[in-house]
Amino acid sequence: MWLVEAAGGGPGTQEVRACGQALGGNCRGALLEEERLGPYAPGLYAEALRALIAPEDGEDPVPIVVLLPHTYQSAEYAPRLAVRLGAAYIASVSGATIDDGGSLRFRRSILQAKLQAEVRPKTRTVVATVQIGAFGGAESAGPPNHVVEVGRPADIEEHRERETLGREAAGAGGVDLASAERIVTAGRGVGGPDEVSVAADLAEALDAELGASRPVVDNGWLPRDHQVGSSGHIVTPNLYVALGVSGSIQHLMGMSGSRIIVAINKDPEAPIFSVAHYGIVADLHEVAPVLTRLLEARRSD
Amino acid sequence: MRIGVCVKQVPDTDSQLRIADSGRWIDDSDLNWVISSCDLCALEEALLLAEAEVSRGEERPELVVFSLGPARVEEALRKALALGADRAVHLADELLQGGDALTDGRALAAVLAKEHCDLVLAGAQSDDLGQAATPAVIAEVLGFPYAWLVMAVELDSRKHSLRVVRELEGGMNEVLRLDLPAVLAIQAGINKPRFASLRGTLQARRKPLRLEDCGGLGLDRGLVGAAGAGVETESVTLPPIGAGGVVIEGASAEAAAEELVAHLQREAVL
Ligand SMILES: Cc1cc2nc3c(=O)[nH]c(=O)nc-3n(C[C@H](O)[C@H](O)[C@H](O)COP(=O)(O)OP(=O)(O)OC[C@H]3O[C@@H](n4cnc5c(N)ncnc54)[C@H](O)[C@@H]3O)c2cc1C
Ligand SMILES: Nc1ncnc2c1ncn2[C@@H]1O[C@H](COP(=O)(O)O)[C@@H](O)[C@H]1O
Repeated sequence: MWLVEAAGGGPGTQEVRACGQALGGNCRGALLEEERLGPYAPGLYAEALRALIAPEDGEDPVPIVVLLPHTYQSAEYAPRLAVRLGAAYIASVSGATIDDGGSLRFRRSILQAKLQAEVRPKTRTVVATVQIGAFGGAESAGPPNHVVEVGRPADIEEHRERETLGREAAGAGGVDLASAERIVTAGRGVGGPDEVSVAADLAEALDAELGASRPVVDNGWLPRDHQVGSSGHIVTPNLYVALGVSGSIQHLMGMSGSRIIVAINKDPEAPIFSVAHYGIVADLHEVAPVLTRLLEARRSD
Repeated sequence: MRIGVCVKQVPDTDSQLRIADSGRWIDDSDLNWVISSCDLCALEEALLLAEAEVSRGEERPELVVFSLGPARVEEALRKALALGADRAVHLADELLQGGDALTDGRALAAVLAKEHCDLVLAGAQSDDLGQAATPAVIAEVLGFPYAWLVMAVELDSRKHSLRVVRELEGGMNEVLRLDLPAVLAIQAGINKPRFASLRGTLQARRKPLRLEDCGGLGLDRGLVGAAGAGVETESVTLPPIGAGGVVIEGASAEAAAEELVAHLQREAVL
């Protein structure tokens, strides 16, 4: 089993180790160093790992499991590594088991996290990415037994399929969510651009900043700098109120560290309720305005 | 120039999903099927790129939509034609059933190569399986440069190159340059997909829609569909409701709000 690790750790290192442990341990670490490999490109990293992991010609093919963190970098090239290794590919797993016969099972979310699936690889070699923040036992997982540095492919220029010109901030960045004490977030369940005001009113009554889930931003109901989640702000307020947010893993990654989480959602099965300290199963348009009035009345007392 | 757009037909996740009796998938007898959300953005981006070419005085690229799936998929392709694609290719073959991102990506790559697409746009992640892998497999098989989570595209058709903004974690983007031909996996939020006009819907009925099968693409039956898939879904279940906290259910709005305020006061967050 190979665990792909970034030099100096990085997001998902512990989850990958925990997944390796769940599958019986005895892991080798493949250490990726940008200094050695040059600037990241998906084809380049896939090739460097293939060269390390693929059995040499004539060598006995042994079952190989390759685990990577489901970051925006490794999830970009991992499917291509799978193709090169002739492996099965399983993305963003949140659980893994091995039975006495050595058969592997992986758990992952499907259908926008409404359901979860147990999947079984049918090939000897498997490449899987491990979901960050959703793998049990991640805190205590130890490092791989030994670590090998990933070498630089000989024909490096051939694999450099694209050029990185630079980095930039995604949004204007006017909203200070990171240091907010309280946040009220509008999810897609608020219903539309004109209905975002239910969340804004509650935020005002709570003296809170206004957050948004990704679809709210994608639809243009609120500017991008309000977005909470893996591709937005990571927040840890004292109080986080989620209105009409289903609780996808990408959203939870941005807010599950909040001290007190409140969720209002009409679907009792919404995953947000599994992280909420206080949940109200109801139509947010009925409850939130009442809550706002109650808080305003308290404030003026 | 030809732009290929891959659209996947998926169950509308806003509708009530039921687990099938087999426990291995959802009951798909009575579902509402739609084009996966990122794929609508990919199609919209293709339409915008074509319009931008025209406004620069260049020839309008041809837009071809591709979908792999059973007969119902034709509806998704007609929808894409109504939105403005020029023609459609339906990869329909019983042998393709039960595939995964690797087999489906290989089959799509074969048909995209046959159609000589210079630029392939797909969704970053499908709303059903969500492996976020099919476009990467297409790029790998075709040997094209690739970028995932694309949030902006500028096409320079004269120089055969693209300037692409790709999303990173934590509110950052990276700017990339890729040469054509290329595969881009488009992330939701890159644009706001248009709605089909009545005129578009009427025109779509007359636009060409071609069927393609494994034989015509020279695809080995052992490498496609369930036979070639590297993964098998053994069961689907509802996610466990975690430890969770206090849940207020069935109360009036007033009672629920009051109870919540009382809890928050006790937690000293008010
Ligand atoms: C690479 C990548 C990065 C991503 N990054 C992020 C990110 O940073 N942040 C983020 O949020 N998402 C992110 N996403 C998207 C994420 O996967 C989900 O699609 C998104 O979080 C869902 O947002 P939502 O909960 O608002 O909408 P939905 O999932 O549509 O949920 C809406 C909820 O509202 C409830 N509801 C509807 N009407 C009412 C009502 N009247 N009263 C009460 N409840 C109601 C519904 O029951 C449902 O639970 C990312 C996805 C990808 C692929
Ligand atoms: N059966 C299919 N037909 C057409 N396009 C597909 C199909 N499956 C996946 N795709 C494309 O690949 C993207 C990512 O899918 P996935 O790998 O399932 O997350 C989708 O958004 C589509 O653009």
